[in-house]
Amino acid sequence: VPWASAPVPSLFSLAVTSEQIEHLHRRFKQLSQDQLTIRKENFDSIPDLEFNPIRGKIVHAFFDKRNLRQESDGLADEINFEDFLTIMSYFRPIEMNMDEEQLDRFRKEKLKFLFHMYDSDHDGKITLQEYRNVVEELLSGNPHLEKESARSIADGAMMEAASICVGQMGPDQVYEGITFEDFLKMWQGIDIETKMHVRFLNVDTIAHCY
Amino acid sequence: MEVVWAVGQVGAVWMAVVLCLIVLPSALGISLGISEAYMWVLVKTLEWATIRLQKGVKKPQPQMPQTPTANGIIERDETPMEKEIARLHRADFEFSHIFYFCRKGFEAIVEDEVTQRFSSEELLSWNLLTRTNVNFHYISLRLTVVWVIGVIVRYCFLLPLRFTLAAIGITSMIVGTTVVGQLPNSSVKNYLSEVVHLTCSRILVRALSGTIHYHNKENRPQKGGICVANHTSPIDAIILTNDGCYAMVGQVHGGLMGVIQRATVKACPHVWFERSEIKDRHLVTKRLREHVADKSKLPILIFPEGTCINNTSVMMFKKGSFEIGGTIYPVAIKYDPQFGDAFWNSSKYNIVSYLLRIMTSWAIVCNVWYLPPMVREEDEDAVQFANRVRSAIARQGGLTELPWDGGLKRAKVKDSFKEEQQKNYSKMLVRNGSIG
Repeated sequence: VPWASAPVPSLFSLAVTSEQIEHLHRRFKQLSQDQLTIRKENFDSIPDLEFNPIRGKIVHAFFDKRNLRQESDGLADEINFEDFLTIMSYFRPIEMNMDEEQLDRFRKEKLKFLFHMYDSDHDGKITLQEYRNVVEELLSGNPHLEKESARSIADGAMMEAASICVGQMGPDQVYEGITFEDFLKMWQGIDIETKMHVRFLNVDTIAHCY
Repeated sequence: MEVVWAVGQVGAVWMAVVLCLIVLPSALGISLGISEAYMWVLVKTLEWATIRLQKGVKKPQPQMPQTPTANGIIERDETPMEKEIARLHRADFEFSHIFYFCRKGFEAIVEDEVTQRFSSEELLSWNLLTRTNVNFHYISLRLTVVWVIGVIVRYCFLLPLRFTLAAIGITSMIVGTTVVGQLPNSSVKNYLSEVVHLTCSRILVRALSGTIHYHNKENRPQKGGICVANHTSPIDAIILTNDGCYAMVGQVHGGLMGVIQRATVKACPHVWFERSEIKDRHLVTKRLREHVADKSKLPILIFPEGTCINNTSVMMFKKGSFEIGGTIYPVAIKYDPQFGDAFWNSSKYNIVSYLLRIMTSWAIVCNVWYLPPMVREEDEDAVQFANRVRSAIARQGGLTELPWDGGLKRAKVKDSFKEEQQKNYSKMLVRNGSIG
């Protein structure tokens, strides 16, 4: 099996069974139609994903080189199974035996993933326009909502972010955008680890003996 | 010379055995108990194999979940969106929404409910067929020996036997219906046609080593009605005709299938459409309506899903069948995957390799439930009626209901469906008071 020799991303070294990897590999083969890599078009074949309003951002996240932990920036054209697993690792559930440091790293990784989703021009800041884009996408497809409503939501959110992160601003101060540190501050105290995960059913049916 | 004669003798003995033990009893509708004995041996062997597999495990196993693998490999959080978002809501609503949709998106990418239905159901325990051996590796010598014996039995004994039976069945169907077709229309002709159809069906079912349990026979489809069933494989039709006579509906094919179609339509009024006619929905509905209106004609058999699904769920029923009128007799068919996978994955296998797989499986075991007849009510339209029938079938067969179209096997989601979902989400937002 060719993929078996590929190094498993380090985030996965905690308690992911080989069955789960096999399942994911089968899914990968299904999506890639038996090719070695997946391109953006391959995600079109998932009916359940069709009516997800942020479908574009999710698919984009798979090809975002920042998420793939590659040195360069920008978007990859295609990803292989190892990259697929790397992105999947952002959605791992918490394990019982994690210590403080691991939990903290875990949380930061998930928030970073979310941050990258907002920050579409890769400049390390979420600007007002980028925020508006995300809100518009979330509300897309609703004929009753005006573009103005989406704008006002985004503006309100940015103002609140500014007040959390920068405090009172002077009349001519401009809030450029939410940096990752600000982003972390906004989410302090809110439990995201249990919201951003996909849990595999424990179906160790009949195990192999080696 | 001697060799040829010896082979000829063996062949003759073989044919005689087959005829006496299998063909004759099926023609008369009686059972000699051979298949029951075979199934008993098979079940015992598979139980033994499962125990051996479990013993082969070295490390302690966690508690196995109650839900079967067939329903998915990830734990889905079925909280409705409203509850989910209310829980997360602090200051910014869109952050909550983005979590929800992110997770849903990832769940869909790892496994989506629809594509899952177009590949075979995964088994919880190995049934000694290599084709299902995805999760299972070498366990013990004894198990491997049993598996090898299984292979020999299946390929060297069962396959030729089944092939012979299938050949006999198909030939007698063609010959029988052609002969009966020569007779003038009368009750004798109808009776003889039923006999021929039933006999050949029984032979073909034996050819697949089929064990079928029929439930609620009092609800069997009557003349002038429409029989509706969930679709898993081309064998479904044979399973049903084993217990009653139906008028088939379908497209005219070429080759062997075409020969069978042309022969059978002489004896019994099946409804075969040319390819060009199928496109014209009004024509199809008209012809079927005429057939149903004639109360002396056999009930027609329709599979409204339009394509083969893997028998874990029932997909959208096409409303065309429910616009014809008349009484609908729903039938639920559930195959037992332990003995052989009946699902035809038409994108993976063509019909010949599919039939070969079926004939080298252990057996085809299925349950057929006849449900009480249903009629379209005054205020129901065809789609609602179709959904009602579908729910009844899904509930009886223990299958999940999915609102999706079987056509998704090959095409993309319809835009209208997508918009529907988006509207639901937006309605929820407005209600939540998050906007304006």
